[in-house]
Amino acid sequence: MNRQRINRRQALRIGASGFVGGLTLPRLLEMQATAATGAEPRARSCIFIFLEGGPSTIDMWDMKPDAPVEIRGPYRPIQTNVPGILVGEHCHRSARVADKFTILRTHSHDDNGHTTGYHYMMTGYRPNFADGTNSRIPVNELYPSIGSIISRELGPRSNMPPYINMPHPMNAGGPGFYGAEHAPFVIESDPVQPDFEVRDLRADERMDRSRQERRQRALAALESRSEPTGRAATMSTYYRMARDLIASPAARRAFDLRAEPESLRAAYGHTSLGQCALLGRRLVEAGCRFIGVDHAGWDTHFSCFPSLERDLIPQADQAFSALVTDLHDRGLLDSTLVVMMGEMGRTPRVNAQAGRDHWSQAQSVLFAGGGIRPGRVIGATDRQAAFPTSDPVGVADLLRTIFHLMGIDCNKTYLTPLGRPVPIVSGGRIVRELI
Amino acid sequence: MTRTSLLLVAFFLVLSPARAQLRVSPESVILNGPEASQQMLVVEKDGRRIDRTRDVQMHVVHPNIAHVDKSGWIEARGEGKTVLLIQHQGKETRVPIEVRNFLTPTPVSFEQQIIPLLTKASCNSGGCHGKSGGQNGFQLSVFGFDPEADFRALTMEARGRRVFPAAPASSLLLTKATGAMPHGGGAKIPEGSLPYRRLLRWVREGMPLRTEAVPPIAKIEVEPAEQVLALEGAQQLRVTAIDEKGERHCVTAEAEYESNAPTIAGIDRRSLVQAGKIPGQAAILVRYMGQVAVCRITIPRPDVKFARPAEANFIDRHVWNQLERLGLPPSDVADDATFLRRVYLDTIGTLPTAAEARTFLASKNPNKRAKLIDELLDRPEYADFWTMRWSDLLRVDRDAVTAQGSVALSRWLRHQFVVNRPYDEFVRDILTAKGSITRESPAGFFKTLEKPEVMSRSISQLFLGIRIECAQCHHHPSEKWDQNDYLALAGFFTGVGRKNLPSGGEAIVAKSGTDLKHPRTGKFVPARPLGAAPVEFEPGADRRIYLADWMTSSRNPYLARATANRLWSHYFGRGLVEPIDDLRATNPATNEPLLDELTQHLKQVKFDLKSLTRTMLNSRVYQLGADTSANRDDEQNFSHVVSRTLPAEVLLDAISQTTGVPEKFNGWPEGVRAIQMWDNRIPSYFLKIFGRPVRASVCECERSNEPSIAQALHLLNAPEIQAKVKSRMGTTRRLAESKLSNSEIVDELYLGMLARRPTEKERGIVLELFRESVGDRRAAVEDTMWVLLNSKEFLYRR
Repeated sequence: MNRQRINRRQALRIGASGFVGGLTLPRLLEMQATAATGAEPRARSCIFIFLEGGPSTIDMWDMKPDAPVEIRGPYRPIQTNVPGILVGEHCHRSARVADKFTILRTHSHDDNGHTTGYHYMMTGYRPNFADGTNSRIPVNELYPSIGSIISRELGPRSNMPPYINMPHPMNAGGPGFYGAEHAPFVIESDPVQPDFEVRDLRADERMDRSRQERRQRALAALESRSEPTGRAATMSTYYRMARDLIASPAARRAFDLRAEPESLRAAYGHTSLGQCALLGRRLVEAGCRFIGVDHAGWDTHFSCFPSLERDLIPQADQAFSALVTDLHDRGLLDSTLVVMMGEMGRTPRVNAQAGRDHWSQAQSVLFAGGGIRPGRVIGATDRQAAFPTSDPVGVADLLRTIFHLMGIDCNKTYLTPLGRPVPIVSGGRIVRELI
Repeated sequence: MTRTSLLLVAFFLVLSPARAQLRVSPESVILNGPEASQQMLVVEKDGRRIDRTRDVQMHVVHPNIAHVDKSGWIEARGEGKTVLLIQHQGKETRVPIEVRNFLTPTPVSFEQQIIPLLTKASCNSGGCHGKSGGQNGFQLSVFGFDPEADFRALTMEARGRRVFPAAPASSLLLTKATGAMPHGGGAKIPEGSLPYRRLLRWVREGMPLRTEAVPPIAKIEVEPAEQVLALEGAQQLRVTAIDEKGERHCVTAEAEYESNAPTIAGIDRRSLVQAGKIPGQAAILVRYMGQVAVCRITIPRPDVKFARPAEANFIDRHVWNQLERLGLPPSDVADDATFLRRVYLDTIGTLPTAAEARTFLASKNPNKRAKLIDELLDRPEYADFWTMRWSDLLRVDRDAVTAQGSVALSRWLRHQFVVNRPYDEFVRDILTAKGSITRESPAGFFKTLEKPEVMSRSISQLFLGIRIECAQCHHHPSEKWDQNDYLALAGFFTGVGRKNLPSGGEAIVAKSGTDLKHPRTGKFVPARPLGAAPVEFEPGADRRIYLADWMTSSRNPYLARATANRLWSHYFGRGLVEPIDDLRATNPATNEPLLDELTQHLKQVKFDLKSLTRTMLNSRVYQLGADTSANRDDEQNFSHVVSRTLPAEVLLDAISQTTGVPEKFNGWPEGVRAIQMWDNRIPSYFLKIFGRPVRASVCECERSNEPSIAQALHLLNAPEIQAKVKSRMGTTRRLAESKLSNSEIVDELYLGMLARRPTEKERGIVLELFRESVGDRRAAVEDTMWVLLNSKEFLYRR
């Protein structure tokens, strides 16, 4: 423990003294990453499934069969393939692969709002606006989101954009003060649609190849006049990346879900969440760092059980279990961290409208791959799933753990435009039981 | 090491024959108390001042009384008198030293003497114990703005275990600080050092919060306040604090330092300024106990014969002065085409048409540039464009002020720019706005600002260039403003309220306000403008009127300056002060005399913005070219023009205009231009990815000009852009089917898109497209337009 700490300091000191003797930026980042965790990070990419609105994890991953009916709800727990771990009956697909993921039952914080909770979860910082008053997209104007941080710290792994959102921008997924350079590349169309395609990616098929080449050649010839500087140089870089994306069959193939066998597409489920998860896997293979999938509709205040059992839970269960299985089958699970959670859980007591309300005090979060220890349950809540009875895991703890798994030094600090230092994560501890 | 030897070489080469004269300061040293210290400065006067502090030999005759280190810093070691000997080239200077009260010191004051040590060691920085919630259970107020809370945290919290009066040296405060105990922040204060000894003595003396004998600091001074350095030269600084009794103490080792341009001149913890390899200017910010001072460093380019260009007006005079001082030759004046495109885009957010370009380029009138400037300022697009820019700043957001409110506010704005309303009257109208937000007026602005605090800090940042929001929670780290100033300013807005109208709309109302309570002391803070006396309000008066009087008074030091800087930044690509709404003594302009005269000028022309704009645009500096062969590294002195991105709306309009295919916006009449639209929420993928602001703050920084992959993909490949390029109703079809020759078509496209004719080489490249697409002239014209549309020259303004 102590030794690791010294290592990190040393790495930072080298960083502070400038790039001496062949110490390149990637090498330095690598050293910092290694020093921060004491070992090479296992997770190279992360698929982050956000169940927006607040999933009812008491009906999924933290069952209370002995509680009164107005708390335990209508569902019964079922056995998983790990003896002793029980999940809700509608999570039966995940139950068959419970040895491949871990349930953290004690995620807890005190922001019970949607927009504010989303902001808190995605940035680690509390927002300075009241819930519901803000319809801006993205809402995190100051603090960078987890994906933007990963984009900045780890950079691209290939010619794919490092940070992607789908099937629309994540509400609090913006780059904050890091600036547009670390904004997500948003795939603003839903992969479940039969005509799904990524905007502006497909070259005009009616234009023959020689004409396209002619255009590119003329553009290159005219642009060779001067070396661009500043933003124009950045734009040149992006032009090159865009041309690669359009021209490179590999990059374009990454976005092409039709290349997947129908059986696998069906295994993920023909739902927005399922096809997003599948596309997420393809993007991980193509080198993307952080894929944020936003799945809305979990704010089940009224008559929640029909929609939970017919739509929401089966979709999430199917997408998550298929993703974990698929990643495992391809040998990618070890290097890919999968997290599934929302901004809050839901009230233990079923309300008068047969729904459950906001409950940020306890939520179960699913982790798979990326070097975590699978097949476990971490922590416990009380008899009503109202409060953690073991160490609660707050937002900062959760983020610190995710960054740690990705090999990012959370204590690194950047200055806001006003000159305020903002560490990547303020406070928090690594959830050691998970690793 | 390298630095020292370089300096020595320079010294022998240049100075030994002349036997330079050295000046040592101070001439005598009095060290009062056991932790007193004094920075010596040794200056060589030889035309200009050169710092020799670290080049001379210094030693103290009685090392048991005082000690001097290599940087010329003396600290007390024992009671008594001794002498500092300074030797240089065989000459010796003697400086008497007296150490007083070493054995019987006045007790340490936590407030005055411990807080700065904690600040210097960055214990209370925002990244450490100063952040909200503290670090590992120990919280200090950030930058020590709340000494009483810090005192409690150190002496009482955690069951008092942080200090141990029975064995002071075993106090956690000291063992953590030295790293003797494991400390997450590392070893911050070496054992035996001056701060260590003072902390130890404070614990030993029973830890007083404050003592009568140590009065508060009234101000600080930095020496030198200005310095010219050679490339890679160095300068030792000295900082002196003057307390309320007028006593002077050297606090060089305790103050904090920061450079606003570290690549030009950096500064270390021991206040040694180190110039880099790039000529330029830097301001070194010095902070101590909430007081601030600035040292300005100038690093000229050596051996430059400066040929002073002609001056069109005072702007050129000041910029040439600066460039001459720095040895930076300005670029040549841009050609007519570059100027034409630039001045159109900057002034009216619109590209010149091919016909306009042709006429201007053909004109032989020697005053054609000035004439064009006058014409542009009178065009309706001037009002459109500036309405859009101010709609960003006044937060004309349909989600925040409703659609009707947005229309009302933007109509009011447009009218102001049509009639060229004097800026002081414009500001007064905004500041005192009230009534229905759907009536043509600026009242809607107040609907977007939720609380008095938000109103005051937005208005302060927008109109005065003062970012007071730091002072909401703590003393501003680099300004004199504290929480009292913050609350006093917000007190002008406490009477502003909203009322639902019977007609269904909403109105801003002004009732008599009340003073605000300080959250820490619980006392009411009387409303007063920044740096001014409290105001006596008439009963029931709208307090904002008093603030407007102060802001628009000819003696107000902020309004005209902030405005001149904002306008300068728009036309010259960078503020004289950056960020443009962060004006303060510790963030000086890169060209102070210029900003001063622009400020004066704006007052002289009675806040006529068009007049100030005309002056700027007619200057030779505005009209410079982008060739940087003589001044490539310069980023802050305006020796050349820097190319920059176009606002999203301007770029979209430019594409629509040159392709001849207007953009269709849902619910808007055909042909409306993006810069004319009040609706910032109109769905448009193009505007979104090119950085249209959401108008959530009064900061211009919200308008993103960062490039992205999505932008490149869109321009290269979007079906929308392709459709415009090959539209049956558009430019390409018209040209392809015209009687013009291929070469004339190329001319036409270049004029319409880049406001110039192609070079012969370019013409060759483009005509190749015509040759290769045999027989399909339409395809060739489309290809040419596509290529030009994706060229940096089209996408950027240079």
